[in-house]
Amino acid sequence: MKTKNKKSSETGFFATLFTVSNSGEPQARRDPTWMRILLSIIAFSFLFGFLFVPLIAVFSEALSNGWRVYCALFIQEDALAALRLSLLTAAIAVPANVLFGVAAAWAITKFDFKGKSILVTLIDLPFAISPVIAGLVFVLIFGRHGWLPEQELGNFLAPLAALSRKAADAGFFEDIFRALTSWLDEPRIIFGVPGIVLATIFVSFPFVARELVPLMQSQGRDEEYAAITLGANGWQTFWRVTLPNIKWGLFYGIILCNARAMGEFGAVSVVSGKIRSETNTLPLHVEILYNEYNSAAAFAVASLLAMLAIVTLGLKSFVEWKTTRT
Amino acid sequence: MSITASHISKTFGDFAALDKVSLHVPAGKLVALLGPSGSGKTTLLRIIAGLEMADEGSGHILFGNEDVSLLPPGKRGVGFVFQHYALFRHLSVAENIAFGLRIRKGPERPSKATITSRVQELLALVQLEHLGKRYPTQLSGGQRQRVALARALAVQPKVLLLDEPFGALDAKVRRDLRRWLRNFHDGIHITTLFVTHDQEEALEIADDVVILNSGRVEQVGSPQEVYDRPATPFVHKFLGNVNQILLPWEGIIQGTKVPVEENVAFVRPHDIELLRPETAQPGALATVLDLHAAGPIAKIAAKRTDGRGIIDIELPRAYFDQLNLREGDTILLRARLEPVCQTILVTKPPMT
Repeated sequence: MKTKNKKSSETGFFATLFTVSNSGEPQARRDPTWMRILLSIIAFSFLFGFLFVPLIAVFSEALSNGWRVYCALFIQEDALAALRLSLLTAAIAVPANVLFGVAAAWAITKFDFKGKSILVTLIDLPFAISPVIAGLVFVLIFGRHGWLPEQELGNFLAPLAALSRKAADAGFFEDIFRALTSWLDEPRIIFGVPGIVLATIFVSFPFVARELVPLMQSQGRDEEYAAITLGANGWQTFWRVTLPNIKWGLFYGIILCNARAMGEFGAVSVVSGKIRSETNTLPLHVEILYNEYNSAAAFAVASLLAMLAIVTLGLKSFVEWKTTRT
Repeated sequence: MSITASHISKTFGDFAALDKVSLHVPAGKLVALLGPSGSGKTTLLRIIAGLEMADEGSGHILFGNEDVSLLPPGKRGVGFVFQHYALFRHLSVAENIAFGLRIRKGPERPSKATITSRVQELLALVQLEHLGKRYPTQLSGGQRQRVALARALAVQPKVLLLDEPFGALDAKVRRDLRRWLRNFHDGIHITTLFVTHDQEEALEIADDVVILNSGRVEQVGSPQEVYDRPATPFVHKFLGNVNQILLPWEGIIQGTKVPVEENVAFVRPHDIELLRPETAQPGALATVLDLHAAGPIAKIAAKRTDGRGIIDIELPRAYFDQLNLREGDTILLRARLEPVCQTILVTKPPMT
């Protein structure tokens, strides 16, 4: 894998992926050849054993009965429903966390206020807590014996339900408000989609903020100040100065956040109830299939998640390559 | 348009960064705000720009006759140049300069053609006509600083504020650019206040120098005034080299009547006269410790034979060569006192 780079200035995308460059080093600073070979062997056998073998295993198992079976397993109704739910969850959780992450990073790095260090610590909380506990928290809040059981929540939401019913009766976006009304009448969070979304938001919310805070800290506040002295308002400063400066960092954060949102198992598993075609996300579906000894199907769905991981890594290296160039 | 700051205080927690500071920059002048780091000079500049607020009820900032204390920075009409330039890294040089005009709204925004021609004009003014399409990372430090200046001038500010404008440049570029700034200012005559910790820089290009120390103004005056007639021991020590001569200084300092409770005299190294002991004139004996003769000025360190410390002397090279001194020689020292140049200043507590 050691690519002799033709010239170090020519840093192509794939070159940065796999470079082990010390060709320009003087002889005295190089390690002896046997040591370099030994260290490379250790590193690559580790990579091979722990990353490539499992990846190959997933795809070979999935394809063990041939392409046709593989494709058939894919388009099963349950698998498609799980895929749809995973996408829906990510589609809600990722934008919510982008909004939160950008706002938090902007506040932390560009302003001074009391309680800043508490906010910084709180952002890391989901990393520190086991996902299972994160899921359990929502059960403890909204569960039958929790602080805010769903029936009580229904009482709280009754005025909203009435409002929504009126809107539906008036024919204003009737379908949407009809559905909303029926949910507000009998709100279901645990063992329902809202619980899955909440748990996913919780476990994936540090990614964007964690990516942006160090970046924005290193960039300082001077450019924003410069924009302000030139007459820009807060909104213009954000859109024209801050956002362009953080766009690649933000993109990086979004990819990682999305990967976590789609792949989360523990927290979602606690709140989902695993009702097939209803509250099953892709990782949960893999588990169910596997427990039913349907390993070909399990691996087929797993291969989908593996492909997501590969795409994520590809995008991640692309962003890294892009940011080192600018 | 003149800048007036009156009784500005600023505290950070318990630390008083500025303590009732007042300052006046006459219209069209180039004034240096000089002080060591931590003296509050940058804080004062940022308060004038509106990037920080003075303590509540502590004073006012006036541009001309207009009180701008409560206006946001964008409405004050200031051009601010940051120490590290703060150019927008994702925009080209021309786009950086156009920024202040492009973000204007409605009828205030000039047409595209006007903006383009204004940018060209400014690029010519800072002598970077051919670099409009470059990005900030492709420029040298001196070029970036000039782009920052052009960007600040694009919005036609009433006053120009520069924070350590040459702080991040190397010595050679620094010297060239500060002369360039002086000429530039002579061409456009915009009221300019710049912050620096480099006394040489302040003395060389400013019309007036305001010396700040620990949040207070020590002295205001033309460069010659503050150098020749320092108002306080701090100014004396901060501007140029100075000997602190402890009592008794009989011999070194002639004919000055000094009250007994006061105990330190300040004499600049080039105001010390050096004689051969054989001349038998009044003076203090000292032994030569160290000789440095590189450059046009020879520097000598001599130890007083009465054990009252070391005195630095600076001599023109030609005179030094005549003396033919060696380390260990005994010499006779005395202060050259001229009435114009009050280099002696006496204070009560011993200075450290």
